[in-house]
Amino acid sequence: MSKLIEIIISENPEVKNISLEQVCLHASLEDLLAECASLETFRHDNSNLYHRVRALFFLYAIHRFYIPFRDGVSSEGIIPYEAYEHMLNRRFEEAIDLFLKVQAQKGANEGISSGLADAYHQQAFQSLANQVKRSVRSTPGNQWMFRTGHPDDHPLKFRKELLIKDTQTGMYPLLHECTPVRMDLTHSGWSDIFFLGMDFPEGAKVLNISVDLCVRDAKQDAPKPPIDTYLRVIDEPVLRLTSIDLGTTASISKLSEVFDFAKDYLGLIKAAVIASGIVPPGMEGADLPLSQLLERLVGEGRGIELVSQVNNIPKGSRLAVSTNLLASLISLCMRATGQTEKIVGALQEDERRLVAAKAILGEWIGGSGGGWQDSGGVWPGMKLIKGVEATLKDPEFGVSKGRLLPKHTVLERDLVSAETRQKLQDSLVIVHGGMAQDVGPILEMVTEKYLLRSEKEWEARQKAILFFEEVVTKLKAGDVKEIGQFTQQNFEGPIQTIIPWSANYYTELLIQTVTKEFGDKFWGFWMMGGMSGGGMGFIFDPNVKAIAQKRLGEIMLEAKKRLIHAVPFAMEPVVYDFKINENGTFAQFKNGEDAILPVGYYTLITPTLLKRDLHTLTKCQHKELELLGNANKTNPQFGNFVSNLFERMMPQSENTSANLAVLMRLLTQHGFDVIQHSQIKSDLKAGRIGLVQNRLPANSKIEDVSASEVFDTRTENLKAYATIGEQALKNGELAIVSLAGGAGTRWTKGSGVVKSLNPFAKFAGKHRNFVEVHLAKSRLTMQQCGTNLPHIFTTSYSTHEAIEQYLQSVDNYSYPGSLILSPGRAIGLRLIPTERDLRFLWEETARQVLDEQSQKMQESLHQALINWAKANGEGEDYTDNLPNQCIHPVGHWYEVPNLFLNGKLLELITENPNLKHLFIHNIDTLGANADPAFFGYHIAKGSALTVEVISRKLDDRGGGLANVNGSLRLVEGLALPDEKIEFDLSYYNSNSFWVDIDQLLKAFKLLRSDLSDMEKVKNAVWQMSRRMPTYVTIKDVKKRWGKGQEDVFPITQFEKLWGDMTALPELGCSYMVVPRMRGQQLKEVSQLDGWLRDGSADYIDTLCSWED
Amino acid sequence: MKVTKAVITAAGPDQRNLPLQTLIDRDGNRKTVLQILVEEVLEAGVEEIAVVLHPDDVTAYREACTPFLSQISFITQNTPSGYGQAMLCAAEFVGNDFFLHLVGDHLYVSRSQMRCAKHLIAIAELNNCSVSAVQPTREALIPHFGVIGASRIHGSNELYKVEKVIEKPTPTVAEQQLFVSGLRAGHYLCFFGMHVLSPTIMKILAQLQTENPTKKLDLSSSLNELTVKEHYLALEISDWRFDMGAKYGLLKAQLSLALAGKDRDRLMAELLEFFVTKDIHSIGR
Repeated sequence: MSKLIEIIISENPEVKNISLEQVCLHASLEDLLAECASLETFRHDNSNLYHRVRALFFLYAIHRFYIPFRDGVSSEGIIPYEAYEHMLNRRFEEAIDLFLKVQAQKGANEGISSGLADAYHQQAFQSLANQVKRSVRSTPGNQWMFRTGHPDDHPLKFRKELLIKDTQTGMYPLLHECTPVRMDLTHSGWSDIFFLGMDFPEGAKVLNISVDLCVRDAKQDAPKPPIDTYLRVIDEPVLRLTSIDLGTTASISKLSEVFDFAKDYLGLIKAAVIASGIVPPGMEGADLPLSQLLERLVGEGRGIELVSQVNNIPKGSRLAVSTNLLASLISLCMRATGQTEKIVGALQEDERRLVAAKAILGEWIGGSGGGWQDSGGVWPGMKLIKGVEATLKDPEFGVSKGRLLPKHTVLERDLVSAETRQKLQDSLVIVHGGMAQDVGPILEMVTEKYLLRSEKEWEARQKAILFFEEVVTKLKAGDVKEIGQFTQQNFEGPIQTIIPWSANYYTELLIQTVTKEFGDKFWGFWMMGGMSGGGMGFIFDPNVKAIAQKRLGEIMLEAKKRLIHAVPFAMEPVVYDFKINENGTFAQFKNGEDAILPVGYYTLITPTLLKRDLHTLTKCQHKELELLGNANKTNPQFGNFVSNLFERMMPQSENTSANLAVLMRLLTQHGFDVIQHSQIKSDLKAGRIGLVQNRLPANSKIEDVSASEVFDTRTENLKAYATIGEQALKNGELAIVSLAGGAGTRWTKGSGVVKSLNPFAKFAGKHRNFVEVHLAKSRLTMQQCGTNLPHIFTTSYSTHEAIEQYLQSVDNYSYPGSLILSPGRAIGLRLIPTERDLRFLWEETARQVLDEQSQKMQESLHQALINWAKANGEGEDYTDNLPNQCIHPVGHWYEVPNLFLNGKLLELITENPNLKHLFIHNIDTLGANADPAFFGYHIAKGSALTVEVISRKLDDRGGGLANVNGSLRLVEGLALPDEKIEFDLSYYNSNSFWVDIDQLLKAFKLLRSDLSDMEKVKNAVWQMSRRMPTYVTIKDVKKRWGKGQEDVFPITQFEKLWGDMTALPELGCSYMVVPRMRGQQLKEVSQLDGWLRDGSADYIDTLCSWED
Repeated sequence: MKVTKAVITAAGPDQRNLPLQTLIDRDGNRKTVLQILVEEVLEAGVEEIAVVLHPDDVTAYREACTPFLSQISFITQNTPSGYGQAMLCAAEFVGNDFFLHLVGDHLYVSRSQMRCAKHLIAIAELNNCSVSAVQPTREALIPHFGVIGASRIHGSNELYKVEKVIEKPTPTVAEQQLFVSGLRAGHYLCFFGMHVLSPTIMKILAQLQTENPTKKLDLSSSLNELTVKEHYLALEISDWRFDMGAKYGLLKAQLSLALAGKDRDRLMAELLEFFVTKDIHSIGR
């Protein structure tokens, strides 16, 4: 029997918890392939969800981490396009079948293994997600909502007391729900992930506290529940939804609009309306007026209004604000429709559980998701939340070991005394560090590592469970100081062992500074939620808490200032005051003059009402304006109402004009070419350029290159070349050029951070950024060759200042050679995309289909964005953002000629007369270094450009090496007439180039001596740029607003790419295939974990010499 | 055990006049609803009937069932304090005996030879316990009824052991607490409006009233309490019942009676003519 199947099906923990590594580390290729074959059959025949999923993860890991590194596995392998298409359409099983068929025909190879690994990985998560959905749908209390498809079948009715108008004011009563948020004192290694709790309920344990908050130094004087939600009946047959904090309101009159989540910022309120059963999910797709349903619920001519407000808590707070907001709204709707026993007060235990189940449903409907502890704010005070084994009456029985919903046990005062609660409040400082990051990838990593039982991580998980028990014990004993020690040990130990990326440089800097400043008065750090950098806790001696709060605010601001360009901050850091909330979610019934909404609501709504003819207002709206008039005179909350109202009705344009002025200055400073920009705009509008026009003519003959046309450094003897290279290095013939002018959009998700400065991983015990890693490699080369190795970082308007300041602040990382920054001399202004390009991108090109609900959400968002583009002027300048977000670097082609234009090449060759070659590479190609053997080959070959390529894996998208109409050249993915062609190309462009300076200058029709003649240089560059194709691309750009809120807009920009130089007939180019670890690029943060685990990080470390 | 007593409640503010409505029964005779109910009860073997009603309605009710006055006692409920309180008014009449209970605003139409009340009493006497008639009802309608959570009695197609009773639940609550295996998805067992109850129910009602004198007393809470104290069954009935207080309830009850009786063919013909003429007129227009 297969060893791995034995592990999967064993009930004995000693066998069940054996890691994959233990079996596969020394297994031969044949053994691995035999295990894969057995697992493949097993997963098809087995009915147990977790057995199947674990088999899928084993298969993924074998193909990702073991097979590609075995002798006899070919590194070349063509990935069938059909399989790729299946992957995009989420038909993973079909993709797996195809990959396996190719593997059976051609043997194991890296390309096919990369495809299989990805398909197994995605199929595993799809299976888990499907099970969660099934469990949520089949949770008693949720099922009926999927059966109710027509308003006439709607079984709910509003409670009578909500339908009776107040005789004095003529207004309907108001139901007001206040809900705290939750903090988790220990999540036991993210054990609140649904998948973990359902397979390992005995290890799923959380200590969770409901808290009230306020931002320190804000106007609010005491902590209060951060979430307020309101519901009332209105005398208009619509569903009126308002989010006060997001400044949005909408009146919905069609059923279909309730299911349109991305149309506005009201998706979460809509999800609550659906999950609570007011508009049951079974009605999705019904093309009916909402009035029919409203009539049944609240009576003819009436409607429902829901209002939400989150008080000063920013997004990414790690306090589960959105889940608790959803739960608050659901609770409110359930109370109104008689789904709870009482309309007011706290909920009963079974009602809280139902609210939690419906909140999970709401998150799924809205295409988001969290952990099972997130709705903890619904419960009062402190509680233990633990996974529970499924029993016969649970829908999960026979499918998974644990239940979807955990058990909540509220810790009463006999277990945790009032004194301890006070002590905790007196010691704990809660902050928001300002970083807002997506924790989704982290949760996936946790699940994967758990199911693989990776040794280190599995041990860390056991330790985290022990820490949990310790924290609970210390809490019961009232020892806050020891709690602090445990939470810090938990963060430094198990948490970072399981997921190294949960910590970051910023957080470590804060901990270091606080430890240094407060010494033994600082009792410990406490990571909240999925990762650090956002919501965090620091536990202090109560005697210093006040000063610690003040100082932490300052320390965070200082650290943010230092790292502003390196780390993605979404907002200013804040310090909170907090209080344990002993009610949980709690409702009040307000009638008469008390039935008034918060002032922010009226600031938002009143301008629209005032603009309307009075006779078009409903009776209630009339009455409400009268009530508002009175409140304005008597209610102190309405003190600033009138001035706020004017501000809203007549928005101040100061900020906008200031931004525009800065933008214009930036453009002028960085050599913005107005004529070229106008030309591009008019070409774009007229359809002369665009995504379709990027492509080479359809009749171009594009073929793969044969192995004989490239030099394979993996198989050839390089010894002689190494000698040549070493000699040239000693002679000082080489300089390194790292391209650091780009925005790194995929890495930073459009947040405007400088990728090269992002401290992305730890080497030699410290977080290092890309610049530091490249310098460490050059330092090692210098130590080995004993000469100066000049290192140039090309920059652009968006990166120059940041890199320059940063390098100054770290004293150039003590780099012993010349360190040069080459500032950019080209800049572009982003444009609003055309509907044509957006539709081409989203509808015509092959794109990853998302999970069912997320796909619906995305389609709705795409429509909204197309409307945005049309409303704001297709092809017009994009100026509605911070100036830096409106401009763009114009592609790395310019970064090399910039060396001529800004005089840096002249400077270099003057100072280093022996300099003959440049080694140019991307900032994220971490394995690229001045390897003497590769350099030697370039010299021996005598080419103008020697290009490094790698054999293709599934993720390597964006063109490659091809024979185009009879000539070998690099071709960009954007330029391929058909996406399928890329899958026939064996080699992917690593974008690392060895360049013969004189030959390159010759191609520009320049000599070394011409470099001082700026006019000549400018003309040469301009001439060459005209020969280079201009690609139109669509990138995502973030616009930040409110409290950490972010919108992502697609914008159009253009670029020219260096790889197109290989198409010049006069430039002699040769190509060498290099090992993957040398040529691979880190484009996305989500690649980091695999990169660390497959040995890539260790490989990089061997190339480096660290200054410390 | 033998059931010889029945309690009909008719004191609810919205239902007071419904038992006085006149209908044509299966045999083509003009009768009040009350009369039809009383006939069904007596045919089931009951000897004494108590009608709980509003004090102002005694005369009208007496007139509505003149032929049976010797077997009927009229008990007045002076203040409308809930369905349970109306039942409690008949505590003395019930004494220590099991009794049949019907609501005055419902009309029961049997689909077989055996009338509903008779069937129910037979089951109660056989099992020597309280039995409520129930009917599978789709979830959209459950907010109008008392609903039970129950498990099927082994070997029987129509009997259930009642484990929980909730008045007018939402489907959310029903799914969590009132699931009955063997029913179609989205269906629950709702009260048919007819019960045979043990005298214990009166004690429970009295206790609940003492505990919370200001609260309106409903019957379902007491029946829920009964599930804990005694063996309590539910009988699934496939007959028709009509809530005459509902929109078109009276019309539907009359139609059902007529279509189940001797004038069926004549009525069908007249209805058909009505529909056809109506359609021709609308085409002409």
